Parts: sequence; structure tokens; C-alpha cells
Amino acid sequence: MKRYQFNEITTMQYIFLISGTQIGIGILSLPAQLADIANTDGWIAIVIGWIISIIASTIIIKTMEKHQQDTIFDLSRRYFGRTFGTFIHIAFVAYALLASITVVFTAIHITQVWILPNTPNYLIMMLFMLPGFFITKNGVRILGRYAEVVFYLTLWMPILIAVPLQKGTILHMLPMLKEGWAPIIQAVKTTVLSFLGFELAFVFYPFLKEKKHAVKAMVIANSISALTFLLITITCFIFFSPDETPLLIWPTLSLLKTIEFPFIERFEVIFLSFYLFVMSTTGIPYIFTTVFGISQLIGKKDHTIVLLVAVCIFIFTSFLYNPSFFHVQTLGSWWEKYGLWGAYFFPIGLFIYTSIARWFQRGKKK
Amino acid sequence: MMNGIQQTVTHSLDMNEQTLRDYFTKTPDLIYCHLFIGEPKKRALLIYLNTLVDKNSINNNIIDPLLFETKQIHTIADIQLPIGSKSYTTKWEHVIQRVFQGETALFLDGDDHVLLLDTQGWPQRAIAEPQIESSLKGSHQGFIETCEKNIALIRRYLPHQQLKIEETTVGRRGHTPVALLYLEDVAHPEVLQELKDRIEQVDVDTIVNTGELMQYIEDNPFSPFPQFLLTERPDAAVSNLLQGRIVIVVDRSPSVMIGPMTFITFFQTVDDYSTRWMIASFLRLLRLLAFFMAIFLPSAYIAALSFHYEIIPLNLLLTVGESRERVPLPPILEAILMELALEMLREAGLRLPAPIGQTVGIVGGVVIGQAAVEAGIVSNIMVVIVSLTAIASFIIPNPDMSESIRLLRFPMMIAASLFGLVGMVIGFMLIIGHLISLESLGTPAGSPFAPTRLRDWKDTLLRFPLWMMRTRPLSARPTQLTRQKKFRK
Repeated sequence: MKRYQFNEITTMQYIFLISGTQIGIGILSLPAQLADIANTDGWIAIVIGWIISIIASTIIIKTMEKHQQDTIFDLSRRYFGRTFGTFIHIAFVAYALLASITVVFTAIHITQVWILPNTPNYLIMMLFMLPGFFITKNGVRILGRYAEVVFYLTLWMPILIAVPLQKGTILHMLPMLKEGWAPIIQAVKTTVLSFLGFELAFVFYPFLKEKKHAVKAMVIANSISALTFLLITITCFIFFSPDETPLLIWPTLSLLKTIEFPFIERFEVIFLSFYLFVMSTTGIPYIFTTVFGISQLIGKKDHTIVLLVAVCIFIFTSFLYNPSFFHVQTLGSWWEKYGLWGAYFFPIGLFIYTSIARWFQRGKKK
Repeated sequence: MMNGIQQTVTHSLDMNEQTLRDYFTKTPDLIYCHLFIGEPKKRALLIYLNTLVDKNSINNNIIDPLLFETKQIHTIADIQLPIGSKSYTTKWEHVIQRVFQGETALFLDGDDHVLLLDTQGWPQRAIAEPQIESSLKGSHQGFIETCEKNIALIRRYLPHQQLKIEETTVGRRGHTPVALLYLEDVAHPEVLQELKDRIEQVDVDTIVNTGELMQYIEDNPFSPFPQFLLTERPDAAVSNLLQGRIVIVVDRSPSVMIGPMTFITFFQTVDDYSTRWMIASFLRLLRLLAFFMAIFLPSAYIAALSFHYEIIPLNLLLTVGESRERVPLPPILEAILMELALEMLREAGLRLPAPIGQTVGIVGGVVIGQAAVEAGIVSNIMVVIVSLTAIASFIIPNPDMSESIRLLRFPMMIAASLFGLVGMVIGFMLIIGHLISLESLGTPAGSPFAPTRLRDWKDTLLRFPLWMMRTRPLSARPTQLTRQKKFRK
């Protein structure tokens, strides 16, 4: 029996949902981090990170494939029993919660710094929670459609980012591999984390209508993200030079400062306002995962009430706490630390464990 | 059902007449016509509502042949009259309902069957070009207030046995006849059943207009967007029928309702298909641009002036500053004042008779114009922006959609005045979030964008050449997808 029959998403929606989650706040600072570690060769690390994330997401799909109607929450209980399964359930919810907190607070911080310096953060939080609530409330199907529309609406943005390319110096990219492979391997850790988001396949896979395309969809989603990362990183390197890039906090936004039109100035303000769309497709899936996980934990089918409580807590928190840039960065690094376990080591472990468990079960039956 | 009256007609003519007289009190337009028909003479009673019938037809086709009847009449079935549409009943309920619809009932003494004859004829206007939806190249016939005529107008386009019509009535007091038209081999049975169920559920006094029925059966009553298309054009109705949608004709109302609709269908007109595709595509894009302008232009002005004046280039900023120099109002008040003035003008012009309507135009030119600027109430730029918004909202071909856009402008202006561009983007997010979760008869209104149906994109932002439109849009869930294989034999 299909459990999520009325909430199914198409392959395309699934692709955009995953890649939308991947492309978010990380991309704003990625070029700086890469240039810091690997200088001109940072982009090679993206390619390697892309391959690794594809492998990891394929492992996730392979794990989920055996029980097509199970989310990670059902799966953990199925394999690990009640106590330990609940522990994993809570751990995953906590991970999604951390991710949503990071995304929301980073978005607020960026908005305050770049667009609305005088608006108190709790007002911005209330504003952000409005679409957050209404879109999350409607479930995975609407999330998928939202990711689709946002993808179409933001197609112009990468093209615009590439505009400064023509003013850049391509020589900045050379020499290749000037310090050998060591810094690249170091940078891979950073790039691998910018691909975070595919681990939500643990939750969204059961909603996918055509399961046979799942692996292909993951590859495409990761490739869309990789292309975007590559485009922005290379543009930054060519335009600013890899030596200047690490000095900028948000090189991607600084890139936009250089774009000028005769009829409009300070284009990055408009761009960044619109970039809220991109950030929303990162934040909303995580918020959904958190809320969905909690409501499954307490045995509620409808997640609206949990969502309402979560939104209220978010708004309430913002009254008391306005993270500084340092705090936002710390949050981000926590997410990344947790994400390395949640999205890479955990799926591999789970895959090995489930394979062995099944192998044993089969042995018993014989 | 009827209070104090027995359910079925009796054999006695006198008793039947008494029942009728008890029921129809203070109904001076109900005519009781006593006749003696056949050889030997037999008593008969003809009743009809004088106001709802075609008197010529009654005199020539009923009374005249009955008076000169020479045969012996045993039962009511022996009576032969030159009227094609007739039926028999023994139930009072039917008799009364039909008489109220303009039919004539014939009672014969000694028979408990009643002959109901179609003699409808009431005041109706001639078929004319619809005023709110005029067209350059399409037909110049519009629907009128009679269900039958409207169905006739549609049938003229589709002389095909698959065009099915299902009739029902809505309203306890009004008994408004409602007809569902669809192509049986194209329309999806689930959608049809859903629509039928919803209409059946409606339990109200009466439906005066199609718009009322629409509000009773729509998916989301809390949406600013229309979920059914109302049109007065038969060609538009037929074009939608062919796409697998269902047309609902409501008697007494000149507009028919069409569903299920998607968001983008409100930007299509029948003219699009009879113009060449490049021009039609250009018009489509123009309308979409107008959609965004009508919603976002005043709020963009407010956001730019109150939050982000740095995005305006210096030269323009100086001009704006100069023109706003004498204006005492903050941008949001200035904008709301002008937008409200515009809405009032439009509403005033709508209801006024044409001769006085001209005055509105002249007065409007003063309020939204140079005089307002010279008085120092508003700036030049604001006047330009208000006028642009007005033009933009006029371009939207569907009046319902145009109205929802006009309404959405105001919350958007408030959001922009509170949060600048961020407020606008969040507003846009909310609109998108709402549109993608909106449904019309259970089909997504965001189609073909969300969910993506690339095949349907041929008739959205651009209107592809007709020979490329081989399939019907998936959004209406047609059961027969292929419209035509090639356009040549």
C-alpha cells in the first residue's frame, strides 16, 4: 500500500527540491573558503566533492530502495528497534532543526547587513515565517512545486553572475595544481559540505512517484548544484583573483556590486532580495523535515500544529537573540560538522548495517 | 413536499381545479381555461402562467385544435396537438414546477394524467456582442439569459454526438436549471463527477447569477484568485470544451462557467488563436508583464523611495526628489491615495450611465493628472506610475483575474512600505505559495509550471503555431490527449 499516495512528487520536482536545498547560503561564501585553502585549484575540489556527494546520495537511495514507503524515521525503527531507532529519529530531527536554524538566522543576518540595516531582527523573522508557514503547511507536494517554480524564477541569476567574467583575467586560473594535490584534498572537505541537502532524500524518497529514476534524479540534482558552484567559484577567481577572494566575506555578493546598469544602481540589493527565494528553498525543506519528524515522533499525522508551535518558537527566539556574524558562522560550522556525519558517514554505516541485517535474515529463512 | 396537498392528481377535474386554486392563491397571472373537447363533449382544463408563455403558440397550437376536435376523447393520450415537446405526469410536484417554467398543463375530466406542453416564451433580449469581452476576430455572438439558446450557440460549433449535456436544478426556491456540457470522450470522468457532486451539494434559496454558483462550488473560497472562468463568449466556451474542460450553463445568466482552470488560462483569449502566432505570443508576454506591473509597480516605487533610494541612478533620483519636493505625504500615503482615487474612478465609471460617464473621465483627468501635481498633493512620478498600473490592469483579459490583481496591489504596497524590497519578495513568495497549492476541481492551478508539464508550455507564455498544438493541455486531465495528428490529410 502506498502511504503517501496523495502527496507524491514527480522526478522533476524531486530534482529541484534536492538541488534547491543544496544551493542556499553556503554558496555565498564558498569561493572565499576554497580560495583560502586551495587557491587557484579550489574548483577541482568542487568536482571531487561532486563525485563524492553523488556516491553518498546513491548509497542513500540504495538503502531506501528496499523499503520504498519508509522515510528514515520508519526505517530506523524497522532496523534498530524501538529505543535505538527513536534515538536515530531524534538525532536526525535535531540535525534538520540545526540546519533550519542556521539557514533562517543566516538569511536574517544577511538581510540585515545588506538590505534592511535598521529593521529589528524579530520583524524580519516574522516576515520570513509567513511564507515558511504557508508553504511548509501544505506538505511535500507543494514543497516540490515550490522548488520547481523557484528554479524557473531564478534561472536568470546565474547568467547575471557570469556577466563579470568578461572583465576578468583568465590567467588567474593558472597555474593548475601549483601546490600539488594536498590542498585540494583539504578543500574537498569544504566542498563536500556545500553539497549538504541531498541527505533529505532520506525523507523525500518515499514521496517520489517514479522510484526507478531516483538515482538518476540524485545525479542530476547534484550536477545542477555542482555547475552552479563551479560557475560562481570560477567567476570569482577570474574576476577577483584567488588572492583577493579570501579577503571578502561574501565574495558572491561582492561580485554583484560590480554589475551596473544605466537605469539601476546597487544591483546587489535587488539581487539579494530575490535571492531570498533561493534561501527559502534551502530553509523550507529542513523546516519541513524537522516538523514532519517531530509529528511522527509524537504520533500525529497532521504536522500543522507542530509547525505552528515551531514557528512561534522561532519568532520568540528572535526576540531574545540576534546572532552576530560570528555566531552565524559558528552555527554554520556546527551544521557542517553534524552534516558530515549525517550525510556521509551515517548513510554508509546504515547501508552496511542494513545489508548485513538483511543478509542475516535471509540466512535465517533458509 | 407541498403542504396540505395530496401528492398525485385525481380523476376528478373539479377536485384538481380546487387543489390548484388552493395552491395558487394571489396569482393573477395563472390562467384557468375551461374547454369542452371532442365528440361527445368532455370537460378539460388548461392552465398556464400568462407571463411566461408564448400566447400565440397556446392559441394556435393548443386551443384552436382542441376546439375543433371531432374525435371522441377517452383518455388524455387521445389528444393530438401540433406541439413536439410534451410529457405526461400524475404528480402535482411536476405539474407545478413545469407551470412555473412556462409550460402549459392540460387536465382532462376522468383522467389522472396531466399533459404538459412546452409553450415557453418570456421576455428575452436578442443575441448581441458581449460588452465586457469584445473581440477583434472572434464571433460577435454572446450568450444571453436563456439556457436553451446558450446551448444552441455552443452546439452550433460542435455538431458532434460526443458533446453531452446533463441538466439539473439548483436552489429550493429558484429551481435554477443548470446544464453541464462536456465532450464525453475527452473530459475526465473523475473531474466531471467531482463537479456534479459539488453542484448537487448546493442547497440554497436560489442562484441569481453564475457568479453565485461559482462561489458555492469553488475549491478555495479564501483565495483572491478565480478558480473558474466566467465568459459570455460561445467561442471561448467551445475552445475550452475542446481542451477537455466542462462548461456549466446557468439559466437566467448570460455568463457560463468553465472549469477546471489553471492560472495561466486566465491570460489566454480566443483571439490569440486566430491571430498569427508571433503576434499572439507577443500579446501573451505583454499580458504577463502587465500582471507583474499591476501588482508590483506601485510597491516598487514605495520600496525604492522609502528604503532603497540608492538603487535609483543619480540623475533619476534628482528628478524624483525635485518632483517630490513639494509633496507633504510619505510615499505610501501618496501611493494609496492615488490608487484609491483610481479604483473609485473605475468603479464610478462602471455604474454610471454613459452620458454622465463622460463626466467621470473629465473629473478623473483632474484628480489623476497635472492638477493634482500642481496642487502639491502628489508627485509627477506617482501620477505616471498610477496611470501605468491602470493600463497594465486593463490589459488582463479576464475581469475576475484583473480584479484580484487590483486587490493584491494594496497588501503589496503595505509590505513594501514596511520592509522594502524584502517585503515585496516575501509577498511574491506568498502569492506563489498560494498559487501552487490552489486547485480548481482538484486539478492544480499552477500547471503547467508547477507541476511542470513541458508539453503544455506551447500554449502559455508563448502561443506556438497551431500546427504544433497537437495535444490537449494535461491540466484539464483529458482522457483523449491527441487533438490532431497533422493539420493536413
